[in-house]
Amino acid sequence: MYLTRDEEGVLAGEEGESSRKAMELVVALGKIYGAEDLIDITSAHLSGASYKTIGDGGLKYLEDVVKGGARVSVPSTLNPIGMDRDRWKEMHISPAFAEKQLKIIELYKKIGVAATCSCTPYLGDNVPSMGDHVAWAESSALSFVNSYIGARTNREGGPGALASAIIGKTANYGLHIMENRKPSVIVDADIDGSVFSYSMLGQAVGMAIGGGIPYFRNIAPTVDDAKTMSAAMAASGSVAMYHVEDVTPEAGNYDISGLEVIHIGEKELKEAYDKLNTADDVQLIALGCPHLSRKEMKDIAAFLKGKKKKNKDIEIWFCTSSKVREECAEEVKIMEEFGPVLADTCMVVAPIEGVFKRTGTNSAKAGNYLPTLCSQEVACMDISKLMEVVI
Amino acid sequence: MMQGRAISPGRAEGEVVKIDGTFSFLGGVNASTGELNNDGRNIAGKVFVFYAGKGSTVGSFVMYDLMIHGKAPAAVVNRTAETIVTTGAVISSIPMVDGIDIDVFMEGDRVVVDGDKGTVEIKGTKTIGVVSSALLNDDGRVLMLQRPDSARSFPGRKSLVAGKIEAGEKPEDAAPREIMEETQIKVSKADASLPPIYVREGDIVWEVYPFLFRIGSQAPVLNKENVGCEWISPSEIKKDASIVPQTNDVVKRMLESMK
Repeated sequence: MYLTRDEEGVLAGEEGESSRKAMELVVALGKIYGAEDLIDITSAHLSGASYKTIGDGGLKYLEDVVKGGARVSVPSTLNPIGMDRDRWKEMHISPAFAEKQLKIIELYKKIGVAATCSCTPYLGDNVPSMGDHVAWAESSALSFVNSYIGARTNREGGPGALASAIIGKTANYGLHIMENRKPSVIVDADIDGSVFSYSMLGQAVGMAIGGGIPYFRNIAPTVDDAKTMSAAMAASGSVAMYHVEDVTPEAGNYDISGLEVIHIGEKELKEAYDKLNTADDVQLIALGCPHLSRKEMKDIAAFLKGKKKKNKDIEIWFCTSSKVREECAEEVKIMEEFGPVLADTCMVVAPIEGVFKRTGTNSAKAGNYLPTLCSQEVACMDISKLMEVVI
Repeated sequence: MMQGRAISPGRAEGEVVKIDGTFSFLGGVNASTGELNNDGRNIAGKVFVFYAGKGSTVGSFVMYDLMIHGKAPAAVVNRTAETIVTTGAVISSIPMVDGIDIDVFMEGDRVVVDGDKGTVEIKGTKTIGVVSSALLNDDGRVLMLQRPDSARSFPGRKSLVAGKIEAGEKPEDAAPREIMEETQIKVSKADASLPPIYVREGDIVWEVYPFLFRIGSQAPVLNKENVGCEWISPSEIKKDASIVPQTNDVVKRMLESMK
């Protein structure tokens, strides 16, 4: 791999030990993916924030990174953590977990990472522009910014994204290179256009193609639709980018004639739905995977307004970012009648196993991860249907 | 000495603990003891050889946890490096090399891994350079030679046209010479070639330089080194003990490289 003289210097330790280690990691990852050189990035978004997912090994790693004096050199945000910083007791979190979780946040802050702790930084905390090269982890967010915004990132892992944030560069391969962003398959979609139908569409496409870059026709996703679809496709498959005809910024760049065409309609959507639905009843209803947007908060509040929670045995969690929670004071008031509006966490990265066994969600992404990461049986359906049992 | 790819810097020597398939550090090993789960073996201080990483990305941090406990492997060798193990090796300062067929290692081998140069040396073995050429005829078939039971290496097996590289000889010169000696077929420049692969036979490591030549309709005339020959379709090259190891893989890769 070609390194500039300055980059060689960093690798030789001229900028200190923590930069040297960061450069070593970025170069090693670049090597295994055949990168020819490094490229400057304008931002980073890091995964590996929940104590539940990174464990003691991750915590010690961060402690050592801080000891080494590392600082990020580009604006960097963080993924959701394992609990709401203030309301963790309502989430049945143990004090021991909370202590380690809060430590992790402090460590990231010392490295200069903005501890906004959301999986939707592109909704306000960290918004790349078209053509920007960035190093993002969090599969749903990176797919959104690649596809809907036209920024460029590969599927980074947590430590790789952190290393890139420290040196301000990432390895130049994959989706950083224009010719690798062209569509690989056309998806003719037939859906009803609800947010939930976009979640199921993403699930079905991930199941059908696994990886690759789908080019959608016949849909017009809004930001919220694209948010849930990106998340679903990255969870049921490994899709890190897609195009939508007449909607996403790079869709018009390509001649799609000759590409294979697949059709996603009633049958495929039903298969996706059946795959995700394994529970008949639920103990927890958790919304906000990815984190609820302002518009979703308004929609949910409007739906709940004037209704009463009848079944007190079922808990309801609304998961969003601190920013959105602050901006939606009115909505929060209505929603809190039904359950806590939790900030900077979600049901997937929180240690809900051991507390609940069956969880309801409207998110296909959560539907994929709740069984494996949280030992849950899952009911995955749209919000009004989920809420039928409690209102 | 085998040449692979340098992934994580540093140099270490140790005994091989080998897993033939893929491996997930999360769930695969006890981070405080280095013991492999459901296995009984321990990777602490050993050269841990496995095909590739898999599983949760948290695996990188499990490697870090091993290092903190003083139970990390001395080095890692993979056939193919992926993100999880690469990340774990680099952040935990574990030397790592990939790009070497792990069939070449035996449990308990003493090896030296150089993560800066990308080399691995198996102590007590001798590396011998050989060429191995696939001859492709107009029917798209490949010539397989039958080695005699008295052959010093891989007796009784089928092989491509193979032979030792002489002192000072270049592999690209050794290949046409061997082909002429063993088959009387004349070739010039190779139509495909690969970087060397390594094949283990006891205390010998064969450093094999693969070539492919299109030879039109020429027919082989054998010398005494082989007892028979046949033209077979590339898809019929088996992966079993009747054929020299890795022949199947090597021919497939060269044919693909010509597409």
